[in-house]
Amino acid sequence: MLQFTCTKLVLFTVAGVIVQIIGLSLFVFGFFPVKPSLSGASGPESFYEPICDIVENRNVTTLHPEQLKHLYQELSGIPPSFDRLILMVIDGLPAEFILGKDGQPPSKKLMEAMPFTQSLLASGLAIGYHAKAAPPTVTMPRLKAMVSGAIGGFLDVAFNFNTQALLDDNILEQFFRIGRKMVMLGDETWLKLFPGLFTRHDGVSSFFVKDTVQVDQNVSRHLGYELSKDDWNLLILHYLGVDHVGHIGGRSSVLMPSKLMEMDEVVKMIHSRTMETQENNQQRTLLMVVSDHGMTENGNHGGSSYEETDSLVLVIGLRNHASDYASAIQNTAHQVDIAPTLALLFGVPIPKNNVGVLISEAFDALKDDQQLRALELNSWQLLRLLQEELPGLPCQKFPCDGFSNHQGSCTNECDHSIERKLCSLYKNAADLHSSWKSKKGSQSSSGKDYSYTVAAYYKFLKSASEWLSCRTTEKPVSLLAAGVVTMFISCMILLSLIFGLVRDVYLPANRQISNSTDSRERWSLVDKFVLGVVLILIISMGSSSMVEEEHYIWHFVLSTYYLLLLRKSAQSLTTIGTQNSFSLFKGEKGKNYLWLPFVIMLLISGRILRGWHQGGVNWTSLPDISTWLEQSGSDLVKLVQLISAILVISLGLFALLLLGSKGKLFMMVKFSFLISGLLVLLHILKYQDDTLASSNFGATFLAQAIYAILGTATLGTVVALPWVIPLVISTMSSNLKILSPSLVSVGIQDKFPVVELRDTLYMSGWAYVIFWCLLQLLLQQPINSTPILLLLLQILASILYYSSDGMCYKELVEVAALYYLGMAGHFALGNSNTLATIDVAGAFIGISSHSTLLSGILMFIITYASPMFVLLSLLLYISMKTTSYLVIPEKADSGNLLIKLLGLPCLVPLGLNSILLTAYTVVLLLMRNHLFVWSVFSPKYLYVCATTVCNYIGVCIVASTGIYTYLVLTIRQRRQVAIK
Amino acid sequence: MRDQIDKQSNPFCPLSTGGWSGGGKHNMRKKSPQSTVSASQAFFTHLSCGLALAAGFWVSHNVYSINLVSHPDHTLFLIWVIQCPLVVLFYSCFRKNPEKCLYLKAVARGLLGLPLGALLNALGALALGAPVGIQYLKRTINWSLMMSLFTVVPATSVYGSSWTDWHRIFAQTKPNGALDYMVCLPAHGALIGAWFGAWPMPLDWERPWQEWPVCVSYGAMVGYAVGMVGSFALVLAQGKQKYRKAE
Repeated sequence: MLQFTCTKLVLFTVAGVIVQIIGLSLFVFGFFPVKPSLSGASGPESFYEPICDIVENRNVTTLHPEQLKHLYQELSGIPPSFDRLILMVIDGLPAEFILGKDGQPPSKKLMEAMPFTQSLLASGLAIGYHAKAAPPTVTMPRLKAMVSGAIGGFLDVAFNFNTQALLDDNILEQFFRIGRKMVMLGDETWLKLFPGLFTRHDGVSSFFVKDTVQVDQNVSRHLGYELSKDDWNLLILHYLGVDHVGHIGGRSSVLMPSKLMEMDEVVKMIHSRTMETQENNQQRTLLMVVSDHGMTENGNHGGSSYEETDSLVLVIGLRNHASDYASAIQNTAHQVDIAPTLALLFGVPIPKNNVGVLISEAFDALKDDQQLRALELNSWQLLRLLQEELPGLPCQKFPCDGFSNHQGSCTNECDHSIERKLCSLYKNAADLHSSWKSKKGSQSSSGKDYSYTVAAYYKFLKSASEWLSCRTTEKPVSLLAAGVVTMFISCMILLSLIFGLVRDVYLPANRQISNSTDSRERWSLVDKFVLGVVLILIISMGSSSMVEEEHYIWHFVLSTYYLLLLRKSAQSLTTIGTQNSFSLFKGEKGKNYLWLPFVIMLLISGRILRGWHQGGVNWTSLPDISTWLEQSGSDLVKLVQLISAILVISLGLFALLLLGSKGKLFMMVKFSFLISGLLVLLHILKYQDDTLASSNFGATFLAQAIYAILGTATLGTVVALPWVIPLVISTMSSNLKILSPSLVSVGIQDKFPVVELRDTLYMSGWAYVIFWCLLQLLLQQPINSTPILLLLLQILASILYYSSDGMCYKELVEVAALYYLGMAGHFALGNSNTLATIDVAGAFIGISSHSTLLSGILMFIITYASPMFVLLSLLLYISMKTTSYLVIPEKADSGNLLIKLLGLPCLVPLGLNSILLTAYTVVLLLMRNHLFVWSVFSPKYLYVCATTVCNYIGVCIVASTGIYTYLVLTIRQRRQVAIK
Repeated sequence: MRDQIDKQSNPFCPLSTGGWSGGGKHNMRKKSPQSTVSASQAFFTHLSCGLALAAGFWVSHNVYSINLVSHPDHTLFLIWVIQCPLVVLFYSCFRKNPEKCLYLKAVARGLLGLPLGALLNALGALALGAPVGIQYLKRTINWSLMMSLFTVVPATSVYGSSWTDWHRIFAQTKPNGALDYMVCLPAHGALIGAWFGAWPMPLDWERPWQEWPVCVSYGAMVGYAVGMVGSFALVLAQGKQKYRKAE
């Protein structure tokens, strides 16, 4: 049998926690790769070689769009091939529908559905590409990839939770900068991504998935008008119909051919109209038909299968392009290639974060030197990005005037193979290019040299692009596996500690007390249920809507638990009356009837808390108490808030008064909490109602004063109390008698200051609780004051219930139930698993200058109000629970007592959290190709991680307070004994 | 002799008038008031309760052409109205101490138990998160009346206000004997079924049956049916056991 000593336990716990932190960070870094992102937009500098820092920092923003356009044209050396671009996005159209698969043309039915497009392909007027899209194959990230050429990571989306606008450099922004006019018809996602960029727009919502007709008619209705106008340079059409048809009936839906026919008609109409205008006014128009992603056989998308990532790029309108049908349908590209191709074709700088490579066929009409120039520009842009990723990339050390004499030195300088490889590829291409340039005058052997140069450039571009996009999408399997395994190990460590503790410490002690093997507690239904809740939670995590509506689960299981408690108490009601079972403490009998008001209070306040915020995602429109109050007027809200605040403060002060101790410190503590309570009330009355005042000096000062007083009072209480509390030796007159029966045998009291320890912990616990309540009253939204009061009541009721539950040894179950209470309260305060519900406004109360760290801390305090509240109140639980009977006087040593007091209350939250964390990590890994992985599962994972941090902090506070108090009291007692 | 008493005191009792093949013999043999139920009686009781449930659906579907999804409150109303007399009349036949307690008294306390049980069920459902609001009031009332028929009414008819019996059935869940099975198992089945029936409610499937209290009612009915089958099986098993012992 493993014997626990205090140090061993602490060491093992800390080790488990550290292992968990390591595993978590391994997983997070593996799963959410950080994208090599450059801020800002490409300017004129992109037309210079990246290795020279000699570009004069010209302020391009002051330039007129027309001037900028000319500057770009002059610098790039490539005349724009086209004046106008029509970008037709067909949502969810797999390239297979038009281009077939593996070089085979598509099925006859599909060929017949799009006769015009197929004729374009056959006649060589159009060229199609299987453009590979990166997962997640969902519309918005794919649109971003198309226009910016970058593959986004999750974290930059997550940390960008207030705006959906695309902040990265992209071609639309570049077009806008040189004064191009843009028109958008179709999916309103574009309007969210690029607010204010479009001259005219008509957005349609993709919300009504059942609608397959109207959604496209709304796009086409303006098409004739727009095609007749000539004031735009970029027309974006986004048709959602194909995607909707897919969602309803899958790939082989009966609606699909007619929908494709409709798309074909649109292409035909655009093509004929542009042909007309091209002849009339010499405006060259490029039509690009693209799809954002494909679809599976069932019409779903979001994952990374071939069917989903097989998106289409169809370029119509390239001149003198003579190719046969077979070569027009076999090309492959990447979706990100659209951005550099369009940028170079239209004479704007390539977006900074682009990882794509230009599509070579689009430039066939250009002269040789212009084609090489385009390749060079693309290479320079990628090289810039590579330099950001690989700071040791040696190419940048070269002086920019000469290339030829450094051929050999590269290999000496580079250590890493990938850097060396990319470097030498680039050098090779650049050298060939410069030699081609020098020979160009002589016209001797340009044909061969030219093709070598192009090949060299492509080699560099392809490998650089591949490497860069791998960096952003690849999930390093080894890292993920290591992370999961490490988390699993830590979970096992913590769980084995808990079970070891229960087996070695609690069961034997309990056996000793209850004296009879018969009444040795079996796991009752309630206990089984509480432990089964973990299983329920893990299962429910696999469903995206259960993750969205997690608050229902917590409330449901928690109130079921309370109902089971009612039943259990009803059981004991008659066993006491009818059975003459052996009872160690006769005085306990009366206590058994105390449960009823507590459980009923728990049920009622739990139900009110549930009704306070509707929460979640799908049912937010249902009525709840908070919206009802807010609609009834701000006066009512304020009244409710004030009443709750006063009740919270008076409850806290009453509890402190109940302790009844006199002495300067106690008075000080009470007084300072009273003062800060009054200040919080003042803040509520004076500043909280209007938003303008909340940022002024007075409010900030008041808030800071409250922070200071509260902080000092709490810290002072916790630190000083063990030193000043009067030590009672061998008298049993505990002033806690009202709250919990003192079951401390004299033998223990002689050895250890148990009564004082519990008194002190009780006082410290209350100090923490009042501190936290007042802080929340100050920081939370006004509407959340009542939930704080109800939470306080719930926590107190549970703790009183548990302490009145007599000799129940099941601390494991009770602490777990308290933990659930904290999580249910978390959602009752209006939180959810989307990042949108984080209260950002409260995070600036009392902060005079902008500080990300401080407001981050405040945001954490607001968001994790309830779990932290429960963790802090564990001190109260420890002090009121009659656990000291567990100590067997003869065997007791100091560590044993401490383990029994603090062991489970500290370990159970950590253990539960580690189970949930590990399980959810596995769920996230399994769901990595799910449609909602970025919108539902990943935000939830961030919350799970933050809950883990919250648990670490809370448990750390509880454990250190407990240990500190105990150590101080022991030292004092020893001294006192020594003096005697 | 007991049959005679039964006949005298309760001319409406559906089980005492019929020509029961096994019932009379079993009743004659057993002395304990707990075991006055034969397998065939249990079977007939459960069958009628189940048929009453089906009849409720049939009436609402064919006579009023409504169903649980489209008109939950009305359908639930029809179900409990049809179910109520059967449950009360049948279970009152099995009342404890039939010598002392008149059949009509058992019926009366069963009827009294209906609103009380409904109140308990409604409070439980509200505590577990059933929506509060005027538009849900009718549904909640009808649902809880139905639940009361599944859970509380049989117990009130059979045990009256005997605390030890109630405690044994509902707090301890230690049914003892055929009658206990018949009361306890369907009631617990209905409660557990309703509890599980609530799980699909928050999902975003956007189905009309996810509304309160449609899927909860379905869950309760399924649980009730399973409970009845289980109770019948146990009664049967117990009967065989006793028969063997007697031999």
